[in-house]
Amino acid sequence: MGELRLMKGNEALAEAIIRAGTDGYFGYPITPQSEVIEYLTAAKPHETTGMVVLQAESEVASINMLYGGGGTGKKVVTSSSSPGISLMQEGISYIAGAEIPILIINVVRGGPGLGDIQPAQSDYFQSTKGGGHGDYRLIVLAPSSVQEMSDFVLTGYDLAFKYRMPSMILSDGAIGQMMEKVELFDAIPRLSDEEVKTLYPWATNGKPKGGERRVLTSLDLDPSKLEQHNYDLQAKYRLIEENEVRFEEIQCEDADYVLVAYGSSARISQKSIQLLREKGIKVGLLRPITLWPFPTKQIDALVKQGVKGFLSVEMSAGQMVEDVRLAVNGRVKVDHYGRLGGIIHSPEEVAEALELKIIGE
Amino acid sequence: MAKVKGAIVVDIETCKGCGVCVPACPTDVIALANEVNGKGYQYAYMLNPDACTGCTNCSIVCPDGVITVYRVRTNS
Repeated sequence: MGELRLMKGNEALAEAIIRAGTDGYFGYPITPQSEVIEYLTAAKPHETTGMVVLQAESEVASINMLYGGGGTGKKVVTSSSSPGISLMQEGISYIAGAEIPILIINVVRGGPGLGDIQPAQSDYFQSTKGGGHGDYRLIVLAPSSVQEMSDFVLTGYDLAFKYRMPSMILSDGAIGQMMEKVELFDAIPRLSDEEVKTLYPWATNGKPKGGERRVLTSLDLDPSKLEQHNYDLQAKYRLIEENEVRFEEIQCEDADYVLVAYGSSARISQKSIQLLREKGIKVGLLRPITLWPFPTKQIDALVKQGVKGFLSVEMSAGQMVEDVRLAVNGRVKVDHYGRLGGIIHSPEEVAEALELKIIGE
Repeated sequence: MAKVKGAIVVDIETCKGCGVCVPACPTDVIALANEVNGKGYQYAYMLNPDACTGCTNCSIVCPDGVITVYRVRTNS
């Protein structure tokens, strides 16, 4: 068993970043995510593992540092909150185009604009459907506990390097600030330069003797080549949709109605299920762990199993509900419930919404 | 008769304004301030200092341990 600690979500992220054998962290403080960089600078991993911790001059600079660091095959990560992630979008699109594995952490706060510093889930569209320009995707992992904040750092790196693309941990202010017990994984040593050279033949860490010149770029002025590059990217995305969908089902076996929720909304919905089951209404919870790729097939299976309605519970005006609708494809009723702007819904409100909007008439 | 009077001290910069202490207080002493701390959170403060009994409920529920409770025995 790993080391047990009581930690804030953001601190668990930071500790996991060090333990995952990260080579570099480049970030800029923003509430509710500031504890990540605070923890890292206090822990001084440059003295133990040799990991670089750098406060960049802006979010734009930090994402471009990731472009460079990731391009050499190093494990690099940045963290920010919603407005900071918006600033990074240009860099993220370039990195996706150049197929560089990096990890981005978004501890979401209320928006749009500067918004506030309370938890929200309104960055779903931005994370799963682009955000930057071009036909690209991010692997998006949604932790719903401090434990997962720690574990998903490893998963995020693994998926990013497996498919050579950016992956994102989409958390929110509540999970970032929440204190819980965490079982930390054992530290993984950083890769040596030789190991990087043998493991990642694409990395731009110097032209090998007699080998090909390596270029990592998102620029290709020949449209026929760029079209082929896009087809290759899409083929990779289809492969991920096939193999990497992760979700959790709670009491779905006999459910008549299903709540679909991720992150902190999923935790609230668990209590709502309990309240509704006490009333004799059979409700289950589907918690997507990967928001992209979305568990479309699982929702399809639930419809076929006889579920009569879905309620998408998010702290947004209804973003994930669109993916639920696409998966359900008009066969049963789908609606959305959520509070906005940093207000967290209560389990009672969710239960009431299901009765009103889905069970209804 | 000896009476116990309490007071709380909030570590303003560590408080994240989660508000868990507010309903935990049996005498409605605590509220969230209109001002914010360095991180931008509305921190907890004593709205009705006279009503505090020093029961320590707030400091027990505080997830970040930012509240210190003081108790004084007064003769009145």
